[in-house]
Amino acid sequence: MRRWGALVLLLVVAMAASLCLGVRPVSLSEAWQAMVAPDWSDPAHVTILSIRLPRLLAGLVCGAALGAAGMAMQALTRNPLADPGILGVNAGAAFAVTFGSLLLGRADSGVLAVLAFPGAAVASVVVFGLGGGLRGDATPVRLTLAGAAFAALLLSLISAVVMMRGDTLEVVRFWIVGSLAEAAARPLTAMTLAALAGGLLALALAPRLEALALGAALARGLGTRPGSTQAGVLVAVTLLVGAAVALAGPIAFLGLMAPPIARRLVGGALRPGLLAAAVIGASMLLLADTLGRLVFAPAEIRAGVMTALLGGPAFVLIARRLGPGASA
Amino acid sequence: MMRTLVLLALLLVATALALLLGQVPLSVGALWQGLAFGDGPAALTVRVLRAPRVMTALGAGASLGLAGAIFQSLFKNPLASPDVMGFTAGSGLAILAAITAGLALPLPVIAAVGGVAAALLVAFAAGRPDEGITATPALTVVLVGLGVGFTATAINGFLMTRLSGPEAAEAQRWLAGSLSARDFGHGVEIMAIGGALALCLVPQVRALRLLELGPDLAMGLGLSLARARYGLAATGIGFAAAAVAVAGPIAFVALMAPPVGARLLRASDPGARLAAAAGAGAIITVLADLAARALVPGLVLPIGIMTGILGAPYLLWRLSREMERGDL
Repeated sequence: MRRWGALVLLLVVAMAASLCLGVRPVSLSEAWQAMVAPDWSDPAHVTILSIRLPRLLAGLVCGAALGAAGMAMQALTRNPLADPGILGVNAGAAFAVTFGSLLLGRADSGVLAVLAFPGAAVASVVVFGLGGGLRGDATPVRLTLAGAAFAALLLSLISAVVMMRGDTLEVVRFWIVGSLAEAAARPLTAMTLAALAGGLLALALAPRLEALALGAALARGLGTRPGSTQAGVLVAVTLLVGAAVALAGPIAFLGLMAPPIARRLVGGALRPGLLAAAVIGASMLLLADTLGRLVFAPAEIRAGVMTALLGGPAFVLIARRLGPGASA
Repeated sequence: MMRTLVLLALLLVATALALLLGQVPLSVGALWQGLAFGDGPAALTVRVLRAPRVMTALGAGASLGLAGAIFQSLFKNPLASPDVMGFTAGSGLAILAAITAGLALPLPVIAAVGGVAAALLVAFAAGRPDEGITATPALTVVLVGLGVGFTATAINGFLMTRLSGPEAAEAQRWLAGSLSARDFGHGVEIMAIGGALALCLVPQVRALRLLELGPDLAMGLGLSLARARYGLAATGIGFAAAAVAVAGPIAFVALMAPPVGARLLRASDPGARLAAAAGAGAIITVLADLAARALVPGLVLPIGIMTGILGAPYLLWRLSREMERGDL
């Protein structure tokens, strides 16, 4: 219980920091005033309501979705290196958005955001299949290499599109490195609902997924159908990652870092793990975003860069812990 | 013998095609006139634009092929190439950092420093403390290398945000790997450095041959294992860094060239396989660059995008084959 208290405290601190810190610092009481009694002639209130609050909400949804998606993917693939960024799901979503903006011209961001879902879905199925997941013999090395190769292919194609059409560069630059800076212009309500649906589906499937981790034969004996469970989890991951990408672009490594911390705090069970990973993911993204706003103020470091700076070394740490048996 | 001639013929055909074709296709007569006498309508295109570019592509491609062959042979693993393991990303990061900081050192030196730093980092992070890098499973090294590459890419993304608009566009092109606007200085540079490294490599071929017999036998035949391995690794990093210094971190050539060369030459001796990898690397790079600048009318893509589009499916195919054979 104390650990859940610590998690909630972490989240509250991250939310307060995200609301109050920035180029123009705002005190907590002033932020509260802005929310309960908005005064649109006060620039501090405008900052809070039209910039920081949407950003905070987008960060909450996006970070929680990525943390939970990472947890679900790691349970599904039994791979501690699984992450929507590493397994190419982010790249799939970004690819779909890029080609959408090429074909539709300067369509509104709501239409483009929806394209993130089919992109994420196709990429997650392709990488899962190429990595041997459908045959049930995926290993961390297979999945990671398949994901890295698929992401490299998609990123090359994205770069080619960007160079072909100069005007897509400004649209696409945003999608390559994720950030919360443009959150105010994103379809927040719809994406929150999508992420919620994905999260609930993952929570509902958690017991079956745990049974599946015992092996396909044993899972069948326990009354679980492996195929439909895998498909359901992929749908959940797609909803979670698609919503996150639509809100903030591809943010890598949150899904890698949140689950091990969550497991350490609340143990190995999947349902509490999903919740804890969501809280940790949201806190980390908000802190990364706030830090990125402060370090080189008034210039910003995009949140995706901040998480990747942490996540690359984290990936190395986890990879070297895998024994030769896990990687061979 | 026959196969050696085929390889040489392919190399010549690729070079001739690269000189003839492009945004403006030339006739053979015009090419000859421009190249040999420096006059006629094609003189400028051939002498200033295409010949230096093709020369640089040949040198960089051969260097990358050799770097890949050395590491794949050292680790006895087709995935252990300097681009997959993050060495070229390290070189790229060092050069971008030097550009950002306004450091005036020769690019090959900076690229070599970055490559060596990345390689040491991989060796340090992947090595078991008691036995060192040589006892670590190759796939763990590959995974850790991927992580180091992710980190370097993240820092590159951060540095990109510190540059002004035009600088960033130029750096973006450079980071993808590009042969645009090369002059004969670049061609001479890569040929000279590559040639010097090849001279260093010749006496080490015997060590490579012995190492492939297995460490015990090699030691029995009087080889100092550590010295041989470090010497070969240093030469391989040198080749990769030299290529990055003139052409940027072109992806996947070092990965693809050795197996393609081995297929063309069907040689089992390490010396012949190295030569085949160099030839294949040069052919792949020249043809990929030709495709990058001639495929889309009115648009010259960076070569790295083309090798990404070609190389990523190759890596995926390679993965699925390794999996079928149960090697991965």
